[in-house]
Amino acid sequence: MQEDLKKEQLARVNIYALISRLLMTEVDEDLLKLILKDKNILSFFPVFKDWKKRKGMSNKDLIERYLNVDFTNLLLLHLIPYESFYTREDQMMETGGDNPVQQLYNDFDFRVELDTARVMAGDHIGVELEFMYKLCEAQMKALDDGAEDVVAQIAEIEYNFLKEHLVEWAPLFLLNVKNEAGTAFYFDLANFAIEFILSDFQYLSDLKKNNFKTKEESE
Amino acid sequence: MNIKDLNELRGEFEEIQKRNSFMECEDDSCISEEDAREDYPDYLRAIYAEILPPQKSGIYFSRWDLKTMASLLDESFALDTRERMFKTFMQWIATPDDMLAVIGEFKKLIDMKCDMYREYAEKYPASKEIFDVKIKKADKAKKYLDKVYKEFFT
Repeated sequence: MQEDLKKEQLARVNIYALISRLLMTEVDEDLLKLILKDKNILSFFPVFKDWKKRKGMSNKDLIERYLNVDFTNLLLLHLIPYESFYTREDQMMETGGDNPVQQLYNDFDFRVELDTARVMAGDHIGVELEFMYKLCEAQMKALDDGAEDVVAQIAEIEYNFLKEHLVEWAPLFLLNVKNEAGTAFYFDLANFAIEFILSDFQYLSDLKKNNFKTKEESE
Repeated sequence: MNIKDLNELRGEFEEIQKRNSFMECEDDSCISEEDAREDYPDYLRAIYAEILPPQKSGIYFSRWDLKTMASLLDESFALDTRERMFKTFMQWIATPDDMLAVIGEFKKLIDMKCDMYREYAEKYPASKEIFDVKIKKADKAKKYLDKVYKEFFT
């Protein structure tokens, strides 16, 4: 049972890391190679897996001719991947200290290097997903240490962050990524990201009914 | 000087002001963006402020959404900032029937997105509360579009 929990937690860590990375910057050859090689990861990209344009093309060409172009269109030029745009009545982005997530990041000593991440504010979808990744990673460590109370505390933070931030706006943005994607890769990524965020929120909501304790702990 | 003289003087003064202002503005250089906006009918600002913000309508209308809606009405414009694209789209409206057609496209898109919200809410019940709020906002947005039509086109 404990091993199942750890496996489940490891999957959450890995998936948050993957979607955060892919929504933050362009995919590179190493990462694309890993996605294509790993059957589990590739199963998250069912349309891309059979995408005809991909066949007979090197990963380098695929990235340069299709994926980078699509990433630029979707994440940099035409759509708005920042929470504040979706939560402010004047539909502006908050790039200063009043950013809705900044205080929370500060509380957890989560530092966002905007230049390195090439984002304008900490409420970028990739950064918010990375914050979830860091929380899941800390939860994994607590699980390994057998610190059940800490595991439950972190689960509560994750639940609140999803409820107040990501679930509130990310589906709106990702639905448009899905509708406007010019490649099967970003179509699948958007679809997978929506489903994963909502299913993880469901998982944490179910845990909440039990004060964020796993069944095994509460027995 | 009596009241009649004063009124005549005021009239002459206003005439001079008008003339000066006309001469200065021959090349439109004195018209600020704010003044230029006044050339637009008020429904433009009403829709931009009440329907376009996702926080108010529960729907994200992207640049491509605006372009797609316009293309369904045989109108085409270049990709630009979201606000300018919206203005261009609204400038296409010339008659009450045009406005009805635009409102129809907005409503179709709103319904399409709300259907997806419902699907997700059903699949992941924990998110229902969040999506329900958005659907409620979207319904209000549709009613607001009807109100805009009534106020400005009938």
